[in-house]
Amino acid sequence: MAARAPTAKVDSRDRLRRVLFLVPYAVRHPGTRVGDLARKCGVSEKQILEDLDFLLGVGCPPFAPDDFLDLYVEGDRVHVALHQSFSRPPRFTESEAAALAAAARALGGEGKERVIRTLRDLVPRDRRAMFDELLNRIYAGSPPAKDSLLGRVQRAIAERRVLELRYYTATRDQETDRVVHPYTVAQRLGHWYLYGFDSARRRALPFRLDRVRECAVTDSRFDPPAESEMARARLFSDAQGTPVRIRLGPLAAAWALARPGRWQVLKRDPKGGALVELPGVSDEWATRFALSLGGEAEVLAPPSARRHYAEAVKGTLARYRKSMRRNA
Amino acid sequence: MQKAERLLDLAAFLLRAAEPVSWREIQEQFPEDYGGSSGEAAIRKFERDKAELLELGIPVRYLAGDEDLSAGYLVDKEDFYLPDLTLPPEDLALLYLAGSAALAQQAFPYARDLAHALNKLSFAARAPGASEVAASATLHLSADEAAGPEEGEAARKLELASQAVAARKRMHILYAGAERRARTERDLDPYGLFQQGGAWFVVGWCHLRRALRTFHLGRILSLDVNGAAPRTPDFPVPKDFALAEFATREPWEYRVHEPIRCRVRLDSPVSPEARESFGARARWEESPDGAVVEVEATNSEALVRQVLSLGDRAELLSPRKLRLRAQALLETLARRSR
Repeated sequence: MAARAPTAKVDSRDRLRRVLFLVPYAVRHPGTRVGDLARKCGVSEKQILEDLDFLLGVGCPPFAPDDFLDLYVEGDRVHVALHQSFSRPPRFTESEAAALAAAARALGGEGKERVIRTLRDLVPRDRRAMFDELLNRIYAGSPPAKDSLLGRVQRAIAERRVLELRYYTATRDQETDRVVHPYTVAQRLGHWYLYGFDSARRRALPFRLDRVRECAVTDSRFDPPAESEMARARLFSDAQGTPVRIRLGPLAAAWALARPGRWQVLKRDPKGGALVELPGVSDEWATRFALSLGGEAEVLAPPSARRHYAEAVKGTLARYRKSMRRNA
Repeated sequence: MQKAERLLDLAAFLLRAAEPVSWREIQEQFPEDYGGSSGEAAIRKFERDKAELLELGIPVRYLAGDEDLSAGYLVDKEDFYLPDLTLPPEDLALLYLAGSAALAQQAFPYARDLAHALNKLSFAARAPGASEVAASATLHLSADEAAGPEEGEAARKLELASQAVAARKRMHILYAGAERRARTERDLDPYGLFQQGGAWFVVGWCHLRRALRTFHLGRILSLDVNGAAPRTPDFPVPKDFALAEFATREPWEYRVHEPIRCRVRLDSPVSPEARESFGARARWEESPDGAVVEVEATNSEALVRQVLSLGDRAELLSPRKLRLRAQALLETLARRSR
């Protein structure tokens, strides 16, 4: 069964919201390209041309010739002759501001309360109470451990400053010093990543923010990445190596498979359990994951992952037995 | 006249007016739309249009009028036009990064609104420079994992749920419980939405259980929002409802049994990730060879799992019953993995 959405209503509303931005944008950027407008609005060029057509019929009583919106396309460039007071977009609606504020709260950083106040001021006066209420009803996750780290990373991104990181690599269990041009941050699967160019490794890489041990903003600046470089950007490297195979009991399967992840389910058993494979995870991760499901999961393959898991179980059990004897 | 066109015409008309415009004048200028038939129906139609304009960010107000000014409708320009914004670059970066990172997730509430918000932000901030490049980079980053049908479905459910939260409309859901694998149908008054570990949850009053309940969006199989009277809320949200209590709850804090105090030893060096995984309410005692962390658990099984996931660098110290439970689990796993 599918979630039902009232499509027709959404389309007309979407168009209105789009044109309320599109007209002022074209006023401010005379000769902007149809393609740019389409990219900005996240729709096709055809849709933009249809919007422009629609706008030609919009005007203001008494509907004399000069009372209509007048936009025209020359080549592929858009010009506005008459904007009929639509010279700036409307203020933020409470849900626009609240969505952005909730996202900012989840990202954290020193400026978060300040930007939330700014967003509130951008909402029309009598909708601000609604903004406050809505913001209290969305929680997009807690920010990565250290707020101050994020503040520094944000500043570095904004000012294009090179970062010096001390970074913990879980798969090798070691810390290394990295010199990074920070491009952006992204949250996936419950973790925050800094994505940037690693000078020593000569390529752009993701760094998990909770594994950054130290972070210094330097005085040297870097050039922004080219569009073509970003087009190749990946947060997760293509899964390499043999996938890890895990058996999940019925309860663990119901829980785990409802979480975001790149599972491949090989087999479901009638009781609800599952045999799954996960590409590109370390042996250590697989062990931790299986153990976090109590007795409900087991790492099966490849041999290295199986060994790592079995040894962790053995080692931990030995620890409990030992202190049991000590206390006996 | 088409509705979209009528709404924009009306907005243009009220924006141009220097003084409040009377109802009579509006009727005269829009005879096909608000003229004709009964006056009551026309007023209701106008009120609906006014509400829609407000939802688009165009605040149409009625002014009662006084000696100098006649009564009527107008759009307060100060309250309509998005002002220019001067923000320090790092604050602007925060907004761009937060917004685009949220959009780059497979699902985020009010995702459509968020896209509009980022466009408005770039308009208001004028010269965004590095921050806007960074934001577009975030979007690039997840383009390669383009949403499959399942993710699209999740995003749509989240969008519907967030609309229901904002408008306070009742939802009817078909839910697949994790523990009992039975499916249940229930009415739910959605109070709020939260994200944990990359998954979204809706909290609200469950009419089936007559209690506050949390639902994993991924296990909501179908979702309908009460479409009647879309602008009239179906329920109030209780004053003492605090979303953070649900959103920041660790699994061992789910209410299953009476609270018990538990102690866990962690070997040195204790990684920040391990430290963070015990949540905000954990109390720490440091020692040269590591740390002892104390938490209050109301779902001790989850705490056992948390400790086991840290492998042989962590050990449940007390209570004894829980410690034995951890050991018993390990014995079973060890037998199986031999």
